Amino acid sequence: MQFHLDPGSGVATYLQIVQQVKEALRLGTIQVGDQLPTVREVVADLAINPNTVAKAYRNLELDGLVVARQGRGTFVSSTLAPPSLRHHNALRADFERWLDAATRAGLDDESIRALISTTLRQSRSPRVA
Amino acid sequence: MTPALDARGLGKRFHREWALRDCTLAIPEGAIVGLAGPNAAGKSTLLALASGLLAPSEGSVAVLGCDPLREPSVLAKVGFVPQGAPLYRSFSVGDAIEFARRTNPQWDAEFVVGLLSRLDSRTKVGTLSVGERTQLALALVLGKRPRLLLLDEPFAGLDPLAGREFLQLLMDGVAETTPTVVIASHVMADIERVCDDIVLLADGRVRLEGRVESLLESHRILMGPRRPIGTIRGVREIVRERHSGRQLTLLVLSDGPIVDPSWTVERVGLEELLLAYMAPERLPQAKPPERFPLRWHG
Amino acid sequence: MAWVTWRQHRAQLVAGVGLLATLALAAFGTHLPISAAYHHYALPHCLPPSIRPGCDLIVAHFQGEFGTWATAVRGLAVLPALAGLFIGAPLLARELEHGTFRFAWTQTITRRRWLLSKTALLASATILAAGLVSALVMWWRQPFDTLQGRIAPSGFDIEGLVVPAYAVFALTVGVLAGLLLRRTVAAMTATLVVFVATRLIVLRFLRPTFMAPHHRTVLPTEAARRVGDWVLSDTLVDAGGRKITAAREDLAILHAQQANIDPHTYLVTLGWKRIISYQPAGRFWTFQIFEAGLFVTLSVLILLLTLWLVRRTPT
Repeated sequence: MQFHLDPGSGVATYLQIVQQVKEALRLGTIQVGDQLPTVREVVADLAINPNTVAKAYRNLELDGLVVARQGRGTFVSSTLAPPSLRHHNALRADFERWLDAATRAGLDDESIRALISTTLRQSRSPRVA
Repeated sequence: MTPALDARGLGKRFHREWALRDCTLAIPEGAIVGLAGPNAAGKSTLLALASGLLAPSEGSVAVLGCDPLREPSVLAKVGFVPQGAPLYRSFSVGDAIEFARRTNPQWDAEFVVGLLSRLDSRTKVGTLSVGERTQLALALVLGKRPRLLLLDEPFAGLDPLAGREFLQLLMDGVAETTPTVVIASHVMADIERVCDDIVLLADGRVRLEGRVESLLESHRILMGPRRPIGTIRGVREIVRERHSGRQLTLLVLSDGPIVDPSWTVERVGLEELLLAYMAPERLPQAKPPERFPLRWHG
Repeated sequence: MAWVTWRQHRAQLVAGVGLLATLALAAFGTHLPISAAYHHYALPHCLPPSIRPGCDLIVAHFQGEFGTWATAVRGLAVLPALAGLFIGAPLLARELEHGTFRFAWTQTITRRRWLLSKTALLASATILAAGLVSALVMWWRQPFDTLQGRIAPSGFDIEGLVVPAYAVFALTVGVLAGLLLRRTVAAMTATLVVFVATRLIVLRFLRPTFMAPHHRTVLPTEAARRVGDWVLSDTLVDAGGRKITAAREDLAILHAQQANIDPHTYLVTLGWKRIISYQPAGRFWTFQIFEAGLFVTLSVLILLLTLWLVRRTPT
């Protein structure tokens, strides 16, 4: 699999890698037994600190999703359970209602996306204010 | 654990100008450190002192636990890429590799060949572009698998693509052995994405140093209407104050959460943070101009 | 370091070989007529002690015919300086001028070992080349050496052990100049000046004193010069042993001319004599060893100084 970085997103690099691995697991792009790209491959492609990749992989290992085999690489060890469909439907309905309200308030698609992205970011990052 | 680079009160004087003064630093092993600062801040001088090319005027410097002048054998584990990558122009790429191989007994030939697969070994160094020459110089120092890598302004003269390629090569080269890397650059944007730590030099002195993460975590931008500032809860020190029209913007060092509703709080980018610490107001006063004594007659 | 030295100096090596080849060709080419004439005139029979009448005429003729070549060959005395100018001076100066020392001196090999290896290898090549030149000159100058001797500077400076010694000296001076001045052209100039000055000082003030000169007293009518010696001074003294000034000598000669007597015979009647101070031909090799030894010692000292300074110089 290949990673891509969004340096302006405000999300720490190692977290972006963790998220992309989890996404790939969800979508089935990578499966149990597959090898994740080596640290060397990732940094040669993205030009980032090897420690960052190592941290991301350690994170995934702590989550129980991958396992590092000494000298041979990091391999996927289990999949992610897909979130329950029941929650999906209720959440989706709530979201559609919110979208109607936002459109009626005058927000266009661009503003809606920006609002979602900022709010998500602020709600995830440690509180300081 | 011995720091990879340990400077204590290090200073260097050329004739009467101090290029570096009172520099005390301890760079831990395995870290990738950005050495930032404007031109003539002392970055090149610091790296030259660390690599044994200069002798200190005062203080001391040790790399991997050894004084590079008294124990030059430590240079076997220190890689230095000088500014401008000054290689012998009449050499071919193959000659340059041979030169490095013969002057460094510990040489990983396969590794170097792998790093330079895109260059033809018969090309003359003098005809390479700046980017290619810098990459060659980097590959040549990586060949001895150093424990400490010092790079002096490697991005100077490189267009963004060449700069990105260089960074990719560098990260590729250090991914397996994770040596300590010190990159001097006056453009922060080039190295922000890879640095664990930052050392800011300006006017020959260390102005700021620390882990990038904690620096970004402990500084905030505060914006609000222009007014006299009292103490603000959560703010330990105001680093920079700017006003325009009716708005006041502060860059502060915080020691806790800032909950004052009269201020909008935002995170600060690394480049902006460093610029604030480089600002002239924070530098020591320049010497007042010499005044000739007035003579009273009468 | 052998490969490194060769690779960085291979242009100089090629030029040196070319120069040697040219000299050898010139030497072989010019040797034939000289050798032919030498035997044709039966000059070997004109050497003491078997001097025949008419020999001085033959010798004068021979020297007139080939004298210009012999004088031209004296120009080879400049060759050792080339080692300093083109090999020694650029060695450090070019690295410092172009900044490549920042690359060369941050490898595993230490600065001192780098410099010592390079200098030793280049010095060896220089000694070899200079030795070949010296051998070539000695072979070519054989007729002239037998007729004129070789202890005088015209032969001494370009034959024997001193040629390699001068070359190594020039080389080490060049290296030190390069380190101190950091610019190639300036280093070359300084090397030339120091080389020439040292050679002149040694020639003028030291070489004559390597061993106490011999003295001979002859009558003004006798032939003063003995073949092969290096005459240091030739003074007229009166019967009481006092040196005769040029004015007094002129006056005496004037007297003789007025009285229509041969001037030399007149001087003899006055009781005047000539005292000649000289170094005998037989001391050639002894003096060669002294002078070569002197220059080699200087070279070693200069090299040691350079090795000490190279580590300390702030760059």
